[in-house]
This record gives sequence, structure tokens and C-alpha cells, in this order.
Amino acid sequence: MKDLRIRGVAKSFGPQRVLRGVDLDVPHGSFTAILGASGSGKTTLLRIAAGFERPDEGEVSLGAEMVDDSGGHFVPSERRRIGYVPQEGALFPHLSVGRNVGFGLSRGTGRAARVDELLELVGLSGYRRRYPHQLSGGQQQRVALARALAIEPEVVLLDEPFSSLDAALRASVRADVLGVLRQSRTTSVLVTHDQDEALSMADQVAVLRDGVIAQLDTPARLYGHPEDAELARFLGESNVLEGEVRDGVATTRLGRLPVAGWSGPHGGGAARVMVRPEQITLGAVATDALEGTVASYEYFGHDAVVRVRPGPEGLPDLVVRVSGGTPLEPGHRVGLTVHGSVVAWPMEPVELAESSE
Amino acid sequence: MSAGAGARAWSGHRRLPPVLTAAAVLVSVVVLLPLVFLVVQAVQVGWSQLRQLLFRNLTAMLVWDTVSLVVVVTLLCVAVGTLAAWFVERTDLPCRRLLAILVVIPLGIPDFVVSFGWRAVFPNIGGFWAAVLIMTLAVYPLVFLPVAASLRAADPAQEEVARSLGLGRVRTFWTVTVGQARMAIFGGALLVGLVVLAEFGAFEILGYQTLTTEIYNEFQVGFNEPAACALSLILVLLGALLLASEDSVRGRGRTSRVGAGAARPIRPVALGRARPAVLAGAVLLVVLALGVPVGAIAYLIIEGGNSTLPPASLLIATANTFGYAAAAGVVATVAALPIALLSVRFPRRPVVALQRTNMLVLAVPGLVVALSFTYVTEHFLQGRFYQTSPLLVLAYAIMFFPLALVSVRAAVARSPVGLEEVGRSLGVPRRSVLWRVTLPLIGPGLGAAFALVFLETATELTATLVLHPTNVETLATQFWAYQSNLSYGQAAPYAGVMVLIAAVPGYVLGRWFDRQPERVTGAAPAPTASILVAA
Repeated sequence: MKDLRIRGVAKSFGPQRVLRGVDLDVPHGSFTAILGASGSGKTTLLRIAAGFERPDEGEVSLGAEMVDDSGGHFVPSERRRIGYVPQEGALFPHLSVGRNVGFGLSRGTGRAARVDELLELVGLSGYRRRYPHQLSGGQQQRVALARALAIEPEVVLLDEPFSSLDAALRASVRADVLGVLRQSRTTSVLVTHDQDEALSMADQVAVLRDGVIAQLDTPARLYGHPEDAELARFLGESNVLEGEVRDGVATTRLGRLPVAGWSGPHGGGAARVMVRPEQITLGAVATDALEGTVASYEYFGHDAVVRVRPGPEGLPDLVVRVSGGTPLEPGHRVGLTVHGSVVAWPMEPVELAESSE
Repeated sequence: MSAGAGARAWSGHRRLPPVLTAAAVLVSVVVLLPLVFLVVQAVQVGWSQLRQLLFRNLTAMLVWDTVSLVVVVTLLCVAVGTLAAWFVERTDLPCRRLLAILVVIPLGIPDFVVSFGWRAVFPNIGGFWAAVLIMTLAVYPLVFLPVAASLRAADPAQEEVARSLGLGRVRTFWTVTVGQARMAIFGGALLVGLVVLAEFGAFEILGYQTLTTEIYNEFQVGFNEPAACALSLILVLLGALLLASEDSVRGRGRTSRVGAGAARPIRPVALGRARPAVLAGAVLLVVLALGVPVGAIAYLIIEGGNSTLPPASLLIATANTFGYAAAAGVVATVAALPIALLSVRFPRRPVVALQRTNMLVLAVPGLVVALSFTYVTEHFLQGRFYQTSPLLVLAYAIMFFPLALVSVRAAVARSPVGLEEVGRSLGVPRRSVLWRVTLPLIGPGLGAAFALVFLETATELTATLVLHPTNVETLATQFWAYQSNLSYGQAAPYAGVMVLIAAVPGYVLGRWFDRQPERVTGAAPAPTASILVAA
């Protein structure tokens, strides 16, 4: 098991600069997610790590070994021992499940036993003689994983492996795959555009934006303390309010809120303040709380998202997440309370439209 | 299961591989040589002489006779092919599975053999309408096959929606059903037109003059090269016009289903009291298209007995035919690989344009290919290579190159780059991945490409007559020699062997291509139609 290290990797396709100097460390045995919008270059980064693509600049190393220095030194894909699980699995359609899994294993002693072992690991013991077209999407994905793990790779790279599955299947296949990877303690890199997927699966998440890693952190840090408002919005719904930070307290139209993260000048100043939808609770109208009117109510079963129009005219709606319960009628008047501390960024550097999507 | 959508998208950024690109360009240049040679020849003849040859009554008459024949045969083939396809695919016609097979087989029988069979039964047959009848019977499957395939693939719900919107059964048929099959009908009609333009043997047997038969006679009998050249220019221009019309029709909307989900099985339309009449019509079609020529050949062989049959020369001719056909099949298939790989894996505008220029050969009849080769070997190579096996094989490979290209493209599309990358990431070296992944996946398609070119070559007559080495006889040349002497009994066994070689495997191949997913042959109006060009 080895670390994967990426240093200053840049890549252009024609005039388009896709990666502009990416640094990323994936410690051995960890699960790292690379999260980015479509077109952010995340698949290119993965393909460079796999050896399918050469970077224009920068270096890739596996453990102590340099595998690509973007110059004369290049270790081809077949000698990197990197397990690659592409979108939709890409099983060899002309080979049975057993032969797919055993593809990278040398003929002879132990191959059959190893294939059985891997199929058992992914919960498909009886499927050895089946063909890919006889499997469901989730089963195909698990076979692809078993095939990648068969060669005991240094690192497993997963390129949006769940995006082609339907929502119900996705959660269970995700859990299965995570279980297998944890059990085998394989260093794993997952590329995805799905925040929930990245946050729920990974030990660390790297957000790729404009060709660089915008933030690398644990899921909790990333969600709770994004480094700017754009990241905050990218990682989940959030309310970004204008306010004023003084001595660790932000004054906003939701009242005075304790600040847990502040990257601005020492004394404080004008700020953007992030309040996550689940930090707000709705209650009866009270004298000391802010009031609002329910604008819409979206019911999801396990919870619901309420858009609340605050008292004064012209201010944007607040997004509030509440547990299921009784639906609230639009027009209903509610009181708003904020719990916990908030993150604030100084106003000047980022020019962003004031919306709470 | 489709693999690696992402990988496909990414390949769009990569640089074109130089060796592959060079090979593809080289192949395209060779494939277009006949056109170049034709132009060179025209320049040598000179404009003033060309003008005299072009603007004379004979030319006008030939163009009229040819074009009217093309138009009438094409219209009849569209009518017969489309109706037959609809009855077989969408109605409760009895025995429609069997009929579906019988109706396709005539495609495998060479047109000149159909003509020969009819002539043997009705010795006085001839003229425009005989030519129309025989060509229609010989080539209507070119419309039937793609239309049947598209009717099978079309979503019956569209017809139901039309009915629910208040359209009657007849209007639904015209607007929805014919609409769904529009591209397939057009693709088939295009091929019918090209085949009729290029046909030589069938018309020569009937004594009907077209541009092609006249070119042959000017060249082979009258040794009048300038006249042959002038007429060839017209012939190629007519073919090019047909091809260009394809471009203008395609791209006016799509005929595919929108949305996912498997189409429901189609509930057949009840024919009711019309059933016996329709069945009788279908049986009549099979009798005329299949029964008459095959019956005539069988009768001639049996009646001829073995006194007139020299089995040795039949065996030698068969062996020669197999040799040429196999060589042409290998050459065309291998030559198609670079262009197919490039156009599937790097589908950028210049690459697609390169691939499509190769389709121009469809507009060049085999006779014109042969004559241009003859001209160039005579005038620039002091007769070297003329009537040698390599040149003949090259001519075959060029003539049937579009067939090979379409099938090899379909084959290559079955093996996306993503699979090779996965193979390599599993620690398997590039060459080993080629053997274990790429070749097993594209092998059947390459086999199909080879088989198509093989079958077309085995039944090719016109170019063979012009270019075959004088001491090497093939089935087609022997058949033609006996037929020209009116030795029908002696010609029949050669025709019989050609039918056996072509008809049965031709049918199997037709069904195989029917089952290919449509998207892999995206460049063609209808997959089957573009493949089954009977020359």
C-alpha cells in the first residue's frame, strides 16, 4: 500500500487549461474524494494518476517511486498497479464474470481461488459463470471493483462509479463498495460531482475548482468551515447573509451569532455569514425572535425544506431544513431561531451575487 | 453494456496518432485513385473532343434510357420493398417468418444470373419493361431489408398516439409508419439507383442499352477510349448526384424514439378478408424473384446432365474465384481498419470528412474503376500490371471498400478505448490487451466485413471481364463466355455455384447486420442498406 502524491500538475487540451497546478496527497489506506462540477478537470486528474494521460507540468508519484515527471520519465499504466473503476464499470462484454475478475491475474495456481475470494468479498459468489449483460448495474459495478482489487493495487481510482445507477440502488452499492474498500484497507480515490457521495464516503475531500484544489479537508471541516461562500454553496444548501463581525460575534438580520471561523482582519469588519439550513429552527412567533412568512414547503419524507420570507421587504428567502412532521401552509407566520456558531468571511475579496441557493 | 462514456469524450481532446492518420490518408488516396485516373483521362482527351462526344444524340438517348430505367426501377423497388416489409413485419400475414427469409434471398443472386434465368425461360424477353421487371426482382431486397429493420425498431406507441389523436388507419400508415421508415426507404432507394446505374451483365443479356453497357462496348469492342471516358464522366456524375441527394435528405429531423425504455412488442394489424390476396401477392413475388431464376438454372443443370459439363474447369474456376474473393476481402478489411479506428475514436470534423470521402466510391461503377485502371497501366506504366492478379484484387478492394468500411466501423465501435485502458490498468501489457480484449470484440465484425467483400467479389462480373489475367478464368468469366455463345446449359453450373456461394451466406449476413445496434453505424442512413450494395 502506497501514498499517491500529485505535485503541481497542469494539463491543457488545446487552448483550454483544464488543470492549473494541482497538489494532492492521498495517504495510504485512506479514502479521498475529488469533488468538482462537471468540466472541472476531475476526470483528467484521475486519468493522469492512472497513466492514461500525460500532464503538461508537474509530477505524480506512488510511494517513493516517481511514475510521471511530465518529462522523460513515465511509468505506463500497466506497470503502476493502479486499480481503475470507470463509469458504468466497463466490464469486458465477451468475458464471464470470473474471467473479468481474473483478467489481471497471471494464469496458474491460485487464480481460481483468488477470483472466488474476490467474488465473495463483493457478495457475488454464485455469479462466476454469468456474463456482464446478465447482471444489474449495481452488480456490474461490484464486479468491476473486484476486478480492480484482484491485482492487489497500490491505489484504487473510482471515476464516478455510481452516477449511472438509479437513486435507490446508488446508496446500497455505495455502502457495499465502501465496506469492501475499508475491509481491504485499499488506498482509494473517488471522483464525483455529488457532494453527498463525497461527504458520506471519504476521509478527506478535495474540491477541484477552476483547475486547482480549492480546499482539502475532512468532510466535517469542509461542510462546517468552507473557505469561501462559493464553496459553502457548492457543498450544500446554505444561507449567506450580510453582516458585521465584532469580537467573535456576527450581527446579522437573524440576530447576533457566535462566529467559529473568521478569516478577516483581527478586529472584525463587514462580512458574509453562512448559516446552514439545519441550524435554523422554526417556532411560534415570539417577541425577541425574527419573524417570517412561509413561502414554500417541500416535503421529502425524512425531512422538509421550508423557504421563509423574512419580515422586512426585499430580503432574500431563508432556506430552513426541518424534520418531516406537519406541513406548513404558505403564508403561515413563524419565528426563526439560529443554533450553534457560524462561519464568516470578510466582505471584500469575493464578488458574489447575494442569493441563498 | 456500453463502456466508458467518459473515456470516449476525453479522446476528443487527444492528438491524432500520426501513424494511424498517415495510414488512413494513404488508404483514402488509393481508394479515390479511380476518380483521379478518370479526371486524368478526361484531361488527356481534351475538352473539345469531350464536348463533341458528350453533346450528341447517342449520349442524350443513353442518358434518357438509363435515367428513366433508374427512376422506374427505384420507384417500383420502393413500393415492393416497403409493402413487403410492412406486411411481413406488421400484419398477421400467414407464414411471415418463412416469407421474411424467402423474400431476402434474391439479394444474394447476382443480377446477371436473374436476367439469365429469365432469358432461359422466356427467350424473347427484352426491352425497357423486361429490364425494369428483372432489375426490380433482383434488387428490391435493398429496400426491404432496411425498411423491415426500421419497422421492427420503431415504437408502436407512436402509431397508437396517432390513432388516439383522431387519425384513421390509412393516414396513420402514411404519416407515422412511413415517416418512421423514411430514412430506411430513402437509403434503400439510393442503393437501388446506384446499382441500376452500375449494372452491366443483366442489361447486356437482355440486349437493353444503358450508359454502362455502351461504355463497355465502346471500350472492349470498339477500342474507343475517349468515348468510353466521356460516358464514364456522365455515369459518375449521375452517381454523385444520387449520393449528394442523400446528404440533403439526411439531417431533416430524426426518426428515432425519444426516451428510454424497451419498446413493447408490436401487435400485428389484422388483414381480415385481404389475407388470401396479400398472401398470393407475396407468393407471386417469391416465385418471380427466386423461383424463376433458381428453377431455370436447376433445370438447365439437370437437363444438361454430365455430358457437357467439364467438372475440372468448374473446380478451377471456383478455386480462382475463391482466391480472388478472399484476397480482396482481406485487403479491403485491413485497409478499412485505420479509417474506421480514426473515425470512431477521434470523431472530429476532418476525420469524419475523410471517412465520408471514401464513400464517393459508391458512385463509381466497377466498370469505370476497371477502365480507369486499364487506361493508367496502358499509358503510364507501359502495360505493366494490366490484367494481373494484384491489380484485379486492388480493383475489387476499392470497389467494395465502402462495404468493408461500414462493417469495420461497426466492429470498432464495439470495442471502446475505455476497455483497453481498464485492461492496461490491470497490469496487462498493451499487446496482450489487443489479443484478449480488442480482437475478440471486433473479430466478428471484421469477419463480417471480410465476408461481405468476399461475396460481392465472388459474384462480380464487369471489372473481372476487363481486368482478369487472360489465363485465369473465374466463375463469372466462364459463365459469361458460355452465356455469350448462348451455351446456356454450359453456363448454368457456373451460375449455380455463384448462387450457392452468395445466396445462403448473404442471407445469414443480412440478418446479422439487422441485429446490430443502429448507433454503431451512425454515418449511414440505414445500417443494412449501406452495407448490402449488390453490385
